Amino acid sequence: MQRRSFLRGVGIAAAASAVVTPNVVMAAAPKGPNNLGFDAAVKAITGGKKAVASSKVKLKAPEIAENGAVVPITVTVDSPMTDSDYIKAIHVLASKNGNVRCADVMLTPASGAAMFAARIKLGTSQDVVAIVETSKGEFLTASQNVKVTIGGCG
Amino acid sequence: MAKRKSLIKIKPKKYKTGETVKVSFMVMHPMDTGTGKNKKTGKVIPAHYINEVKFFFDGKPFTTMKTWETLSSNPVFSINFKVPGKGELKVVYTDNQGEMNEKSKKIKPKG
Repeated sequence: MQRRSFLRGVGIAAAASAVVTPNVVMAAAPKGPNNLGFDAAVKAITGGKKAVASSKVKLKAPEIAENGAVVPITVTVDSPMTDSDYIKAIHVLASKNGNVRCADVMLTPASGAAMFAARIKLGTSQDVVAIVETSKGEFLTASQNVKVTIGGCG
Repeated sequence: MAKRKSLIKIKPKKYKTGETVKVSFMVMHPMDTGTGKNKKTGKVIPAHYINEVKFFFDGKPFTTMKTWETLSSNPVFSINFKVPGKGELKVVYTDNQGEMNEKSKKIKPKG
């Protein structure tokens, strides 16, 4: 009897720990210092204006990324880059990261062509979004879904 | 101030005045997110990432970037640049722990 109850006790304890441990670990994982949601980040960039999807903005990213820690992205914008008509800024966002902002690039006509390339981290499969601000105050966007096999945050 | 390895690459290698070239700036930096843990000690690694990169040509800034920890470690920043003539290209970058470093490269257009 004693042995049986002992085993049962162990079993329950093991089951309980198995269930509880992941939750505890998840709860203990600290949040990043600049966590910001996607909608809030877009609002901060556009100031409430609507960003229009445009074929002028080209976002190049892999459809399937094996390693989420290193995802190469390239944003190119079709623009003459003259003093009167140029691309002011390129913002790169990852929609489901803790902090969705990746980079804000402020350009000038001296750049010659509007391009930005970097490697970003993606936690899970999500959309990568580029928001481009022109010198006329317009906002253009392009996005692409990236499937991530192994997450790269943390 | 920790010394960091960095590199400025220009493509194509031979260029003329007025040509648009691709400038890549690479730096060895951990870009810690502030959520990862040291596997041996279990302690949280504090956030440590580059938050500003500025590109200068002869002292004049032509591209500035604000970046966050969501960039990969040892990041590469690539942008375009229209070569106006001879001069010096300089990249100044700062991180959230107050480190500030710079790297420069001479621009010598052929023709």
